Amino acid sequence: MGVETPQLAETASALPPGTAQDEILRRVTGELTDQGFVIANLDKLVNWARTGSLWPMTFGLACCAVEMIHAYMPRYDLDRFGVVPRPSPRQSDVLIVAGTLTNKMAPAFRKVYDQMAEPRYVISMGSCANGGGYYHYSYSVVRGCDRVVPVDVYVPGCPPTAEALVYGIMQLQKKIHRTGTLWR
Amino acid sequence: MDAALRDLGELISASLGDAVSDFHVRNGELAVEVKRDSIVKVLSFLRDDVNCQFKLLVDICGVDYPSEEERFEVVYNLLSLTHNIRVRVKITTDEDTPVPSVIDVYNSANWMERETWDMYGIYFTGHPDLRRILTDYGFEGHPLRKDFPLTGYVELRYDDEQKRVVYEPVKLTQDFRSFDFLSPWEGVQSQLPGDEKADSTVDGGKGDAV
Amino acid sequence: MAETEIKNFNINFGPQHPAAHGVLRMVLEMDGEIVDRADPHIGLLHRGTEKLIEYKNYLQAVPYFDRLDYVAPQNQEHAFALAVEKLLNIEVPPRGQYIRVLYAEIGRILNHILNISSYAMDVGAMTPMLWAFEHREILMEFCERVCGARLHMAYFRPGGVAFDMPPGLAEDIAKWAEEFPAFIDDLETLLTENRIFKQRTVDIAVVSAEQCYDWGFSGPNLRASGIAWDLRKAQPYDVYDKMDFDIPIGKHGDCYDRYLVRMYEMRESVKIIQQCIEKMPAGSCKVDDQKISPPSRGDMKKSMESLIHHFKLYTEGYHVPAGETYTAVEAPKGEFAVFLVSDGTNKPYRCKIRAPGFAHMAAMEMMSKGHMLADVVAVIGSIDIVFGEIDR
Repeated sequence: MGVETPQLAETASALPPGTAQDEILRRVTGELTDQGFVIANLDKLVNWARTGSLWPMTFGLACCAVEMIHAYMPRYDLDRFGVVPRPSPRQSDVLIVAGTLTNKMAPAFRKVYDQMAEPRYVISMGSCANGGGYYHYSYSVVRGCDRVVPVDVYVPGCPPTAEALVYGIMQLQKKIHRTGTLWR
Repeated sequence: MDAALRDLGELISASLGDAVSDFHVRNGELAVEVKRDSIVKVLSFLRDDVNCQFKLLVDICGVDYPSEEERFEVVYNLLSLTHNIRVRVKITTDEDTPVPSVIDVYNSANWMERETWDMYGIYFTGHPDLRRILTDYGFEGHPLRKDFPLTGYVELRYDDEQKRVVYEPVKLTQDFRSFDFLSPWEGVQSQLPGDEKADSTVDGGKGDAV
Repeated sequence: MAETEIKNFNINFGPQHPAAHGVLRMVLEMDGEIVDRADPHIGLLHRGTEKLIEYKNYLQAVPYFDRLDYVAPQNQEHAFALAVEKLLNIEVPPRGQYIRVLYAEIGRILNHILNISSYAMDVGAMTPMLWAFEHREILMEFCERVCGARLHMAYFRPGGVAFDMPPGLAEDIAKWAEEFPAFIDDLETLLTENRIFKQRTVDIAVVSAEQCYDWGFSGPNLRASGIAWDLRKAQPYDVYDKMDFDIPIGKHGDCYDRYLVRMYEMRESVKIIQQCIEKMPAGSCKVDDQKISPPSRGDMKKSMESLIHHFKLYTEGYHVPAGETYTAVEAPKGEFAVFLVSDGTNKPYRCKIRAPGFAHMAAMEMMSKGHMLADVVAVIGSIDIVFGEIDR
């Protein structure tokens, strides 16, 4: 039963608003009113949902936190990507490591990561989190947060501008689409 | 300004007698060197005396001079809002000799002394709570000493098997590059870096010949 | 019947907490809802800045100062530049001084709008944050236009500023400065008479003048307790002595007064910005000493000597005469100072950074004792702490 809608499954990820998108929506609503259900690929649907509501953990450590806040605020407005900051690791999908990770902070940082539910992603923001950066040779700095948690996207800069972070989040969305697996 | 500061310095050294060993005015700043054991007396005087009124202790910090006999200098920076002047009080100490805590004179000394202890290992007697403040829990050594390496001794990584962060000896892919800029045409050094190697090769050559 | 023994319990606040303004960890001993003892654990962002500075030459050390108090980076650089200039015994040309004062005040506004809006968010108001950050964006654009970086400017160098202001920038800043007071008025309608905001802040953490002295307070926190002390007036540096501005002071020394002082300071900063633009002289913006300030690109292409100077300056740097200085500026958070010891080489021998937030944080126990747990958040917001400078 049901009509195969291969176009829907293929294009759901990257179709810009316009007539083509409207057409698909019309067909989907048509199908829904017709038969009461639609058929789509489960993994694509799941990935669509995941990328549409990437809730990051507000993990501001240092300077980059300021740029991260700027990205949430009206001018860059990450809300429009469904990116809403959460104060609790239990509710969040992405950990944005914004700032220098020090030895003293690392155990707490790992604990936050461990508390997050799968699937979870990590964006390392700024050169300190990427590899120690300006503080690489310091006695108290972890030389890159990838020594403590696995990282998905690295955003370079010191600090990266808010735009760069927005781009990094979009790269992560792309990555989720591309890998497209249910289990991580 | 300098004359006024010098007058103040003279007043301080006259009032405190032999507690003050020396004072000087440089760069428009007054620095008073005092004896270690009388630091509490000196700071109380500076706080309460009508002509001083240094009510704010803005900073305590250590400086390390490894070549000196008493290698550490503890520097107290004071500010008087009434007279709009600053004074710097200095004492010296070494690794083993404790310094009297001035926490009874200024409450703000509490954390500053903790920091000095943490960074230099200068011990303050009479401090109620001399714990490390800035460095990691369980950190070993005192990082701002000149003989402490910049990169420290341990680094940290998450161990997947033990499921916790572990400390390991530092292993750098590329060492910190520190250049010296003692160019020969500036002629400040009698021996240039690298000269000692030349000498040893000469010696080695002789040894071979014999 | 034996009385039930009541035991105090501990709350671990942080290190990851949205209201902790960074990475503060506080161990609170609670008697019911009342704070009995507060033990802040700092150092979770201790990056060893002071040690690193000892290994870098004077020019390379400048950007570390940006990264201390990252909310208002310019003001930290200012302290370092002034300290090095004092040891080098040079004076910056007037245009350089005016540009520095202009940007230092922009830094002050950057700091205060972030502090006030995030403080308001901590005690329950969302809108100020959304409004204020638009103005932060505008100010950061001004920073970007003058030096290329939005946040960490590395613009105030010993010997002046890195580049001159591009044409048209002064006019745009003047235009913004005219509009900004209206925004402060708007912000005040949201907060100053707001019932909830007042309930959360009035009479919370009252600090008397004596306590301020004892705990080494400075900046707005000191002024909120009624002490008219501002380094810009008392020990003016650069061209602050040519500026006409007032120092707002508080009366009660509670969280609300600290908020009000910051609010009024922003208006005064706008005045200073306007005066700077009005009086800005023409001329060079850095000292005319090729050993300290780099030659222009154009000169380097034509003159061998300039090329050599450029090479020497960016490899070896300059040697600073031996000596020591304690140089303080009025940073937005309070007295930010650099205690610089030079041994005559091209690297600082010791560079102690005196962060205002350190003293304020130390007084946390004194301020939060006897208050409710929820007030701790208001106290943290009102004393304006940033961990970059406290932990260094």
